[in-house]
Amino acid sequence: MIICSNCQHDNVAGTLFCVECGAQLEGAESLTTQAINQEQIVDDLKKTSATTDVPSSPANSWLSLHLMDSGKILPLATRNEFTMGRLSEGQPIMPDIDLTPYQAYASGVSRLHAVVKRDAERVVIMDLGSSNGTYLNGRRLNPHTEENLKHGDVIALGKLKIQVLLRNI
Amino acid sequence: MSSKSKKDYYSILGVTRNASQEEIKRAYLAAAQKLHPDKNTAAGETEIFLEVQQVYETLSNPKRRAQYDATLPPEIKVNLPYDHSIILSRPSLVKMEEPQMLYIILEMQAPVEMRRAPSAPLNVSIVLDRSTSMQGEKMDVVKTSAIQIFRNLRQQDILSVVTFSDRAEVIIPAARHEDRARLEARIQMIQPAGGTEIFQGLDAGTKEIMRSFDSKRLNHIILLTDGQTYGDEQQCIELASKLGERGVGISAMGIGMEWNDIFLDLLATRTGGSSAYIAEPQDIKKLLLEKFDALAQVYAEDIALVTEPMEGIQLSYAFRLQPDPGLINVEESTLRLGPILQDTSTRVIFEYIIHPTAVKSDIATILDGTLKVSISSNPLPTPPLRMKIQRPVSDKAEADSPPPEIVQALSRLMLYRMQERARAEIEKGNIEAGTRQLQALAANLATQGERSLARTIALEAERIRQTRGLSAEGGKKIKYGTRALFLAPPKKESAS
Repeated sequence: MIICSNCQHDNVAGTLFCVECGAQLEGAESLTTQAINQEQIVDDLKKTSATTDVPSSPANSWLSLHLMDSGKILPLATRNEFTMGRLSEGQPIMPDIDLTPYQAYASGVSRLHAVVKRDAERVVIMDLGSSNGTYLNGRRLNPHTEENLKHGDVIALGKLKIQVLLRNI
Repeated sequence: MSSKSKKDYYSILGVTRNASQEEIKRAYLAAAQKLHPDKNTAAGETEIFLEVQQVYETLSNPKRRAQYDATLPPEIKVNLPYDHSIILSRPSLVKMEEPQMLYIILEMQAPVEMRRAPSAPLNVSIVLDRSTSMQGEKMDVVKTSAIQIFRNLRQQDILSVVTFSDRAEVIIPAARHEDRARLEARIQMIQPAGGTEIFQGLDAGTKEIMRSFDSKRLNHIILLTDGQTYGDEQQCIELASKLGERGVGISAMGIGMEWNDIFLDLLATRTGGSSAYIAEPQDIKKLLLEKFDALAQVYAEDIALVTEPMEGIQLSYAFRLQPDPGLINVEESTLRLGPILQDTSTRVIFEYIIHPTAVKSDIATILDGTLKVSISSNPLPTPPLRMKIQRPVSDKAEADSPPPEIVQALSRLMLYRMQERARAEIEKGNIEAGTRQLQALAANLATQGERSLARTIALEAERIRQTRGLSAEGGKKIKYGTRALFLAPPKKESAS
């Protein structure tokens, strides 16, 4: 058996792509998602929830991601939907936003972790069945369920904390 | 292989005539170990051992070997009129108490020097649904396409046109056609009316094909329908199996959303053919003309892999990756893999589940069978190719990563199968599991850059949550959309 690191589905030995979620299984041992203790994530989030100063989102992007550990801000524009995750060699799965440079692996970010999108009136986040879950202000989200985002919300992909900066709010 | 009655020295040792001294020595040692009088038990083995001994004494001495070679008749080399290659997902199997997967890609293509040869003349029957629902634009486009096909025919081609509703009529009998104006008038006169009984049409089309059946022609039926047939499915499939055995292919085309794609797939795969989805009436012409182009480019019309059942080895899935992506029917021991085109190789992927009983010894036979290829443009019959795929069984899994061809093919096949699974779940009433699969599929597609298909699927998943069922149109769009991905080069999209 090979247990898919993305969705925990049991696959027959020698299977290359998880039959449940489509993640690549073999030849990627070193690239599997790091398992993170859940309490650790919640604790970490509590520590940072006191953050008060919220940087403003750069102009012409509808959403910016403020990576709280590195302080880096990623402005997002042009498209209405961005998947977040971790790029790994030889994988057909390519997230729009590759978080590898921000300690994504050590933080337990899945290769295809979550998606942020906007429509006419709102901006939402949806967990894509990640191993370690997506958190919104410390609360774990149900996978594949959209949740509204507000300016200043702190989301966490596994342990990787990101503050959401919305424009015009 | 053998000259007259006596076996030649090389076949006794089981080596080729150009074997090196080293290979000969190794083959001899292996044989000697097995056959040595101290060890052998079966009667007659001592005699074989002495023979092997004598053979080795000759072949191990270069001078004597050359003398012996001079006495041999020229070797009859079997030259296959096609090239083939095999790629496996892993070099060896693992001794284990649970099942394991193995993937194999088989690729076959026309030899370079044969790709420009004229293709076989056609013997094609177009079987048209003229039920009431075809009225209007669909029928108009079908008529103009049929006329266009007549104009494009080569002189040597045979074409027939059959229409059906709840009965069938031969509009144009199978023949080489001279008087095209008269034929065009007959096509123009087709009037839509009545129900849809596919067997009626298929049976009449088969009769037309058989009237001018010729193994030197490419014999093929094109079925066009926009509806479901009721009660005659089994008859249709039995007829398709018979056609498959005769080397007659079926291409099934469904127009709009009311037809049954699973049934048409079953029908077509019995012959190594495939089904196609025509979403809009204006696409009928393009797809039909493309089909005829493809038929005129066929090099070998039928590849059949006849397999022997193997203990503990289960062929769980087979799919043609190119030229025409589609399912392969694995229910029967003869696998019909479809045609080989002149310019495009045929690639098929097989998924095997290897059960623990198959990996008890040091070597496992995964496939033992015969590859039969019929090439109508080639005057000589093609010799069947014995195919035997064996792999060593080791105690531990090898760390090698699978070949890129396998990974690439499976990264696409994974998407197609997620769609199949989702559909099966929804049909069983497991709406939750089905929509979850569709959403995972949409996420995978989005990350592969297939945004529009991803959006279609996400919307359909949303709809299913509300209506508790897959729409006829959505199901087809998703299925044929993921099937079309096999032909598209991988997309890469930057975030900018």
